[in-house]
Amino acid sequence: MAGAIIENMSTKKLVIVGVALLLCQAFTFMVGGLIAPSPTTAVPYLATKCVDTIKHRQESKWFMPWGPNQCHKIRSFDEATAKMIEANNIVFAVHIPLPNKEMSSWFQFMLVILQFDIAFKMYNQIEDGAMVTIDVGLAYRDDTISEWTEMAHSFEQRKLSCNFTTAKTYENEGRYYECDLMPFMEVGSVSHKYYLLNMRLPVNERKKVNVGIGEIKDIRLVSIHQNGGFTQVWFAMKTFLTPSILIIMIWYWRRITLMSRPPVLLEKVILALGISMTFINIPVEWFSISFNWTWMLLFGDIRQGIFYSMLLSFWIIFCGEHLMETQFFEALVLGRGELKMCVSCVPAIQIFPERPTNKSQDQTERNRFSVYWKQVGPIVFGSFCLFIFDMCERGVQLTNPFYSIWASDVGTELAMAFIIVAGICACLYFLFLCFMVFQVFRNISGKRTSLPAMSKARRLHYEGLIFRFKFLMLVTLICAAMTVIFFIISQVNEGHWHWGEHTVQVNSAFFTGIYGMWNLYVFAIMFLYAPSHKRYGDEQSSGQCITGDAGANSGEDIQLTTTITHVDGPTEIYKMTGKEAQE
Amino acid sequence: MAGWFLDLCLSLAVGHQYSSLGTQPILCGSIPGLVPKQLRFCRNYVEIMPSVAEGVKIGIQECQHQFRGRRWNCTTVNDNLAIFGPVLDRGEKNFKVSKATRESAFVHAIASAGVAFAVTRACAEGSATICGCDTRHKGPPGEGWKWGGCSEDVEFGGMVSREFADARENRPDARSAMNRHNNEAGRTSLSDNMFLKCKCHGLSGSCEVKTCWWSQPDFRVIGDYMKDKYDSASEMVVEKHKESRGWVETLRPKYNYFKPPTERDLVYYEGSPNFCDPNPETGSFGTRDRVCNLTSHGIDGCDLLCCGRGHNTRTEKRKEKCHCIFHWCCYVSCQECVRVYDVHTCK
Repeated sequence: MAGAIIENMSTKKLVIVGVALLLCQAFTFMVGGLIAPSPTTAVPYLATKCVDTIKHRQESKWFMPWGPNQCHKIRSFDEATAKMIEANNIVFAVHIPLPNKEMSSWFQFMLVILQFDIAFKMYNQIEDGAMVTIDVGLAYRDDTISEWTEMAHSFEQRKLSCNFTTAKTYENEGRYYECDLMPFMEVGSVSHKYYLLNMRLPVNERKKVNVGIGEIKDIRLVSIHQNGGFTQVWFAMKTFLTPSILIIMIWYWRRITLMSRPPVLLEKVILALGISMTFINIPVEWFSISFNWTWMLLFGDIRQGIFYSMLLSFWIIFCGEHLMETQFFEALVLGRGELKMCVSCVPAIQIFPERPTNKSQDQTERNRFSVYWKQVGPIVFGSFCLFIFDMCERGVQLTNPFYSIWASDVGTELAMAFIIVAGICACLYFLFLCFMVFQVFRNISGKRTSLPAMSKARRLHYEGLIFRFKFLMLVTLICAAMTVIFFIISQVNEGHWHWGEHTVQVNSAFFTGIYGMWNLYVFAIMFLYAPSHKRYGDEQSSGQCITGDAGANSGEDIQLTTTITHVDGPTEIYKMTGKEAQE
Repeated sequence: MAGWFLDLCLSLAVGHQYSSLGTQPILCGSIPGLVPKQLRFCRNYVEIMPSVAEGVKIGIQECQHQFRGRRWNCTTVNDNLAIFGPVLDRGEKNFKVSKATRESAFVHAIASAGVAFAVTRACAEGSATICGCDTRHKGPPGEGWKWGGCSEDVEFGGMVSREFADARENRPDARSAMNRHNNEAGRTSLSDNMFLKCKCHGLSGSCEVKTCWWSQPDFRVIGDYMKDKYDSASEMVVEKHKESRGWVETLRPKYNYFKPPTERDLVYYEGSPNFCDPNPETGSFGTRDRVCNLTSHGIDGCDLLCCGRGHNTRTEKRKEKCHCIFHWCCYVSCQECVRVYDVHTCK
C-alpha cells in the first residue's frame, strides 16, 4: 500500500485528476437532473364496484372496470342495499394502467398500495384491531382482446389502523376515518401490458371474517412504478460505468501483481471494493426488458447490500492499517528512545535491519483480516439481518406478490427486530469507526511534533502516510456529506425545481449523482492508491510535491515502506537503499 | 350556472342507472340551456359529462348537509335533485334575476368544486379515457407516459370545471364576475385541501426511494372549508367602467377596513333575505313546516328557525331498527323497536 500514486503525483497532475473527476460528477448530476424524468410515478386508482350477478360463479371470471365487456357496476353501496346485493357479491376491480395506456418492462417494478375509505357510523364503527380479509386475484394480458391469465391469487389479511379525528357523534356521521396506507402488492418485473386486480371482501359472521370493519365506501389503490425514461438513463449510466471501473480495476491489480511482494490486506480490500462496485454496475437489468425476471428487485437489493458492507469494511480497514503504522512508529520511537537519538541525527534507516522480528510480527498481524473481526463483525451481522429481512419480504413476494411481512403481528415484530438489530450494528460500527479515526488523528498529531527531528526517509514515509490518510478522510467525508445533503433535499423537496423554462428533476439528479459519485470515489481510490512505480530517477517531481504538510515523495520513501510492508523477501531496491543508508 | 347544471343533472342522472351512463350515448343537444361553448365542450368530452353531473350532485348534497337545520337549507323543490330555488337561478326562465347573495356564492363554489372532485374521481376509476398526460405531452401517444409518467389528474378535473362552468360567465356584468370568482374559489379550495401522501420503497423499504402523490380529501372537508368561507364572505360593490367594448362592471370590496378577498374567498354584492317567508322573487321557500329542535338555542332551534311564529308539536311513533349487525356493505340485520318522538314543526 505504501508509495501510492497519490503521494508521487505532482500537484498539477493531482489538480487535473481532481478537476476531471469533478466534471464527471457534475455530468452525472446533470444527466439525472436534465435528461431523466422523475424516478418513479404514482398513479392513483379508484376501485370500480362490480356486481357478481352469477349465482354460481365460475373460477376464471374476471371483472373489467371499463372498456368492452365491462362488469355490471354500481355507483354506491346505497344502490347495492336497495337492490339487495350482498357484500360477497361485490368485486372491486382495478385495471392497471388507466385507459389508453399500457405498462412496459421499462417500468422495472410495480408496487401497489391499498387504502380504504371508511365512513364513520355511530352504530357501525371500526372495532379495535380489526382485520380485513381480502380475496384478491391478479391477472394479466398482452393485448386488449385476449382472455385474462391468472398470475396470482391469495387471501390476504391486513390490519386496519384507522383513527377518527373528530368527535364520534351523530353530527359527524359520514366523515371518513383516516386510515394508514397498507402495502398491498409488489411485483419485481412489469413484463405484461395490462394487469387486472379483482378484490372481494367476503363476510363470514361465524368465523368473524370481515366483521366490524366499518362502512366501507371506496377502495383506493396507488400503483408506483419506475419511469421508463429514468430506467433508460440509469441503464445507460450503468453500461458506461461498468467498463470504466472494470478497466481501472484490472490496471490496479496488474500494478499490484507487478510488484515483487505479495499484496497486503488493504490492497486486497480495495480490489474487493472495486469488484463489488462492478457487481452493482454490471447492467444485467437489460435482460429484464426481454425476460420476466421477477427476482431482479431482490437481486438489486443484494448487490447494493454487498457494496455498502464492502464500503464500510474498507473504511474500517483503511483506518486500521494506518493506525497500526502510526502505532508501530510510536512503539518504535518510544521503546527505543529514538526521539533522543533523532536529535543526534542517527539515520533512522539504520535501525530497521536490526529488528526483523518486530516487523514481521506486525506485518503478519496487519495482513490478517481476522484482526478486524470486532469492527467488521457488526457490518456483516447487520447486513445479514437486513438480508434475512429482505428475503422474508421480497423473497416471499416472488411466489406471492401480495405478501407483506408487515401484515401480521408476528411478522411486524420480526421485521422490527431485524431492523433494530441492523440499526444497533450500524451504531456500533460507527462508534468503532469514529474511535479509530480519532486514534489515528491523535497519533498523527503526536507524531507531528516529532517529525522535524526524524531522518529524511522516515519523515517522508510518515508524511506520506498522513497525507494518504487525510486525503481519504477528506474525500470520504465530502462524499458522505453530499449523500446526506442530497438525501435530505430529495426528502423535503417536491421532486423538481423550475429554473427558467427548464425543469430540474432533483430526485433523479440525486440518484444518478450519488451513484456516479460513489463510482468516482471507487475509481479515484483505485487510481490514486495504486502502488507507484516511480524510482530514483523520477525525483524531478519531489521538489514541487503536493500540499502543505503532505508527504513529499522520494525513492527512499518507497523503499522504506516496502521494507515495512514486505519483510521476507527484500527487493533489490531495498538492498540498494539499505546499502546506501549505511554508507 | 346552477340552472343549467340542474337541467344537466335531470337529463343525465335522474332516471338513469349509473351502469347505463357509460354505455348509453349522451346527446349534448338534448341538454337544455347549454351555451354554444358548453355544447362544444360537451361534444368533445362526452364521456366525462356523467361525472360533471355527478359533481354537481355531490356539491348540492354537501350544501344541504352544511346548511341542514338553517333557515335556508339549500332547498330544492323536489326531493333531491331538482331545480334549485331561484336564489341560485340566473333567471333564464320566468323568474326575475336572482339575487347575488352569499348563498348563491356558496352554491356556485361548491358545485364547481364538486365537478372538479367528481371528474378527478372518474379519472382515477378509469371511466374516462381523456384524463391524464397524453393530451398535453407532445410526441407519439403513449410515449410520454412510458418516459415520464403522467401529470396529476387533479389539474384535469380543475380544467374541466373551469372550461365548463365558467363558459357561460363571460358577460361583462357584475354577476358574471361574481360567479367566475366564486367558481374559482371553489376549485382553489379543492386544490388547497389536497394532501400529499408518500411511500418509501428503497433498499429494504428504506426511504432512499420515496414516491409521493396528491390525494383528494373527503368531500366533507371541502364542505366544511367552504362553509367557513361562506361565513366570512366579502361583500362587494359594483363599479361601472367605460371600456372600448362598452360598459364593464367590476367588483370592489365594500369595506376598506377589511382585508380584500383573496382568490379563495367568496364574494357577493347583495344582502340575503331572511328566508322566513316564502318569496319566489328572492328564492326563499320559507320555514313553514320545517322540523325544528326545541332544546337548541342555535339557528336550528324552534325560536330562530320559525322566525318567532311559534311551532306545532305532535307525537310520532316510529318503528326503528335497533340491535343491528352490520356488514361492511349493504347488509344490516336488525330488530325492530318502536320509539316515540315529539316532532316540532314551524307554524
